[in-house]
Amino acid sequence: MILAVVPAYNEEANIHQVVKNLRQFVDKVVVVDDASTDKTFSEAQKAGATVIRHKLNRGQGAALETGHTYARSVSADTVVHFDGDGQFDPAEIPQALAFLKKHKANVLLGSRFLEKKSNIPAFKKIVLLPLARLFDRVFTGLSLSDAHNGFRILDKKALHTMHLVQNRMAHASEIPQQIKQHSLKFVEFPVTVQYTRYGQSAHGAIAIIKDTLTGLFIR
Amino acid sequence: MVPLLSSKTHSPVYLFANTTGMLALFQLVFILFSLFVISQAFRRRKHGLLSTPGMLFWVVLWLSAIGSVLYPDITQVIASYFGIGRGTDFVVYSAFAIMFFVLFRLHIKIESLQRDITKIVRKDALEEVQK
Repeated sequence: MILAVVPAYNEEANIHQVVKNLRQFVDKVVVVDDASTDKTFSEAQKAGATVIRHKLNRGQGAALETGHTYARSVSADTVVHFDGDGQFDPAEIPQALAFLKKHKANVLLGSRFLEKKSNIPAFKKIVLLPLARLFDRVFTGLSLSDAHNGFRILDKKALHTMHLVQNRMAHASEIPQQIKQHSLKFVEFPVTVQYTRYGQSAHGAIAIIKDTLTGLFIR
Repeated sequence: MVPLLSSKTHSPVYLFANTTGMLALFQLVFILFSLFVISQAFRRRKHGLLSTPGMLFWVVLWLSAIGSVLYPDITQVIASYFGIGRGTDFVVYSAFAIMFFVLFRLHIKIESLQRDITKIVRKDALEEVQK
């Protein structure tokens, strides 16, 4: 079973469409509503998703891990991470799955840079993302073309070996860390990203660095 | 090397017979405050909010604070032992080091609590969806 995990926080405007589009390409859509204050929960439900609701906002990393826990409990074979704001194109999922299978990899990481088809804001492209890549190289030892991309696919082995503990955005550095730690095979796959809004800012980047460093000291 | 606790450097400062009235007042207030903090440490230990090593840490810290206020020259002796010019400087440096250490531990503890909260929220959310 292919299961899509969509972490969502106040995405009432986009979540319905995202779930509807996703359902054409995966067997089951799980929206993890991270204590949204808007109608995300009912919108996702109306669109036919299984909605898991956090009673308190715990951050995207926490929401993904909740999705993973659910996926393990329903014995999903493959998990697709997908953003709830509609910036990815679900039609790219079948190609990505085929790519993963072809390379016999455990994890597929979406990348905005393998092909130049995403409209990335300039500051993000020239300053933030290269810094994020450098940070990841130092802290994870993996060399990735795109450090923080929300499109990923995990196979069963990856789903059962990775356990995310970073609550907030630092999970994006934690995933490569764990790939290395558990010697999982990964591939990068070009995805299209439509920037409907800015997403992670420089402020967010500092928070990620802080969370990652703090994580080093916690069991 | 400065002789440790020689009669010259180790002269007790008398609380109320002191001619500099301001210092005596500061000493009095500071000691009262320190005693209050120590009593708090004992109380927290009794209520189980503080471990015995934790309580000892705070009691020893505040007792040494009282000591250095009563006998400021002691800090001078220790400072020169460590190669620091003034006793006050030594106190300030140590206070900063201890403060940052406590802050660090606090920071880690909060993050660890955050992760515990997540576990509870996750468990609750998953139970809810299975109903």
